[in-house]
Amino acid sequence: MTTSTAPAVELVDLGRTFSTKDGAGRPATVTAVDRIDLTIGSGEIVALLGPNGAGKTTTLDIVLGLIEPTRGSARVHGRSPRQAVQDGLISAVLQTGGLLADLTVGETVQYVASTYGGRHDDIVDVLARTGLTELAGRRVSKCSGGQQQRLRFALALLADPRVLVLDEPTAGMDVSARREFWATMREEAARGRTVVFATHYLEEADDFADRIVLVAEGRVVADGPTADIRATATGRIVTALAPDPEAVRTVFGPDVEVEHGRVTIRTADSDAVARTLLDLGAHDLEITTGSLEDAFVRMTTHHIPTQPTPIEDGASA
Amino acid sequence: MSTLDDTRTDAPTARADHRTMYRLELRRVLRDPVTLFFTIALPAFLFLIFGTSESWAGEKVGNGNVAMSIMIAMAAYGAVTATVGIGGQAAVERAQGWGRQLGLTPLRDSSYVGVKVALAATIALGPIAVIYVLGAIVGAEGDASAWALSALVLVVGSLVFALYGLCFGLLFRSEAAISGASGSVVILGFLGNIFFPLTGALLTVAKFTPLYGYASLARYPLTEGWIVSGDAAPIHEPLWMPVTNVIVWTMILAIAATLLVRRGRGRQ
Repeated sequence: MTTSTAPAVELVDLGRTFSTKDGAGRPATVTAVDRIDLTIGSGEIVALLGPNGAGKTTTLDIVLGLIEPTRGSARVHGRSPRQAVQDGLISAVLQTGGLLADLTVGETVQYVASTYGGRHDDIVDVLARTGLTELAGRRVSKCSGGQQQRLRFALALLADPRVLVLDEPTAGMDVSARREFWATMREEAARGRTVVFATHYLEEADDFADRIVLVAEGRVVADGPTADIRATATGRIVTALAPDPEAVRTVFGPDVEVEHGRVTIRTADSDAVARTLLDLGAHDLEITTGSLEDAFVRMTTHHIPTQPTPIEDGASA
Repeated sequence: MSTLDDTRTDAPTARADHRTMYRLELRRVLRDPVTLFFTIALPAFLFLIFGTSESWAGEKVGNGNVAMSIMIAMAAYGAVTATVGIGGQAAVERAQGWGRQLGLTPLRDSSYVGVKVALAATIALGPIAVIYVLGAIVGAEGDASAWALSALVLVVGSLVFALYGLCFGLLFRSEAAISGASGSVVILGFLGNIFFPLTGALLTVAKFTPLYGYASLARYPLTEGWIVSGDAAPIHEPLWMPVTNVIVWTMILAIAATLLVRRGRGRQ
């Protein structure tokens, strides 16, 4: 089995439910990941963007072999996630916890390095690359949030992984720590690693990713190059009262939203859309500018299609 | 630009370096003065108080004297406090995210457990060594085989109580759980006939508690089964009683720990 032919990450019909108890104490089932199909090629930098509870962490936990899916399959470079972890092909910076407060930074790196067989040169190198050499003697409990996150990053690099997973990597960091973190991250990505990161900061996804996968309620609601997502998001919203909404749908496709006779169309070319709408007898026409925020909220809260929205179409409608 | 090999198929060096892990884990324990106080200094102090009293320390028991019996009991208390702490800490640190961090490494669960067991045995040796040396100084007496065998039973048996700490940690998932578990060892110590000789109905009930079998078995090479019970005449206890106690409690704790680990997995 070689790693060059298989995609870095391949999720097929992935689902994960959890058993829990409802308010009355009866057993209930929560669906964290409903259905996700996703293929990430080697060397891609992909952002999983979505609100809290969208299923990002659960999806990444499955990719890392920390939990098993209840449906579908996950492969990392053609192997099971756990095998990929054992082969040092994938590693991660996790969102929560994960450190022993009573060890020093250097000891923590030594500890995790020992699970790989512990090579001294690697430890020195990783500390240097993450800017932790000076902090090696400091107790983890005395480190700031940003320093602890850099330590988690150092631990992830010990495996020299092909795929690097980051779950909300800059949560709780201030602006300068965040900037510093992404600068280091860029250097690591430039070494040819595949990077998959989860975030609910649009700006972060926009700045760093080549591709954005928008996730909501356990499904992929949009997937495309970052530039296209931006085009969609920064396009305009044309709304008008249409006497015959179905006719509008025939022209602009099924993505037209209709509410009380008012049609809403998102577009990059608002002039053309407005002209066509007026030709179709529409009136009370309004054109507004959509923000990235609007697009995010719209795509992740309501109107969840069974199939992901092809972003290219949305941008050129 | 790429420094990564696209066709890598083998593990980098997937053989875990257990010695480094063990060394770092040991360093963590030695760094915590509170733990060292409760596992070594306190039991040693208690031995010096109870074990050197002129009124009973020199009395004969089995092939030695009462001072030796108290020495073994206090070493048992220290060793169990140590292993309960190690087990509880393992459960809590896993629940608090370290388990997820280790889940991202090639480390196997069995390796992790192995390192923690070696650590627990090492830490249990601390109070045993210190109290046995004190015992030799202040006049504990027994056959050479009694010294060696009792120490062996103390080390091996104390590992069972790492499971006890593990169960506490898995149930309550907080640092307070470890203190609670260590505190409960004091109560179990009284019921285990460790701090003073029990008699009558209390002794009958005590025989079913977890520390009783362990302490009684550790003293067996010395006492040869004779229990000193206050002012009453010594009672003889057959070997199968402490042995059964230890086996049954090992099974109970192992099953409880397994169920709790499984419950924790389902909840993640």
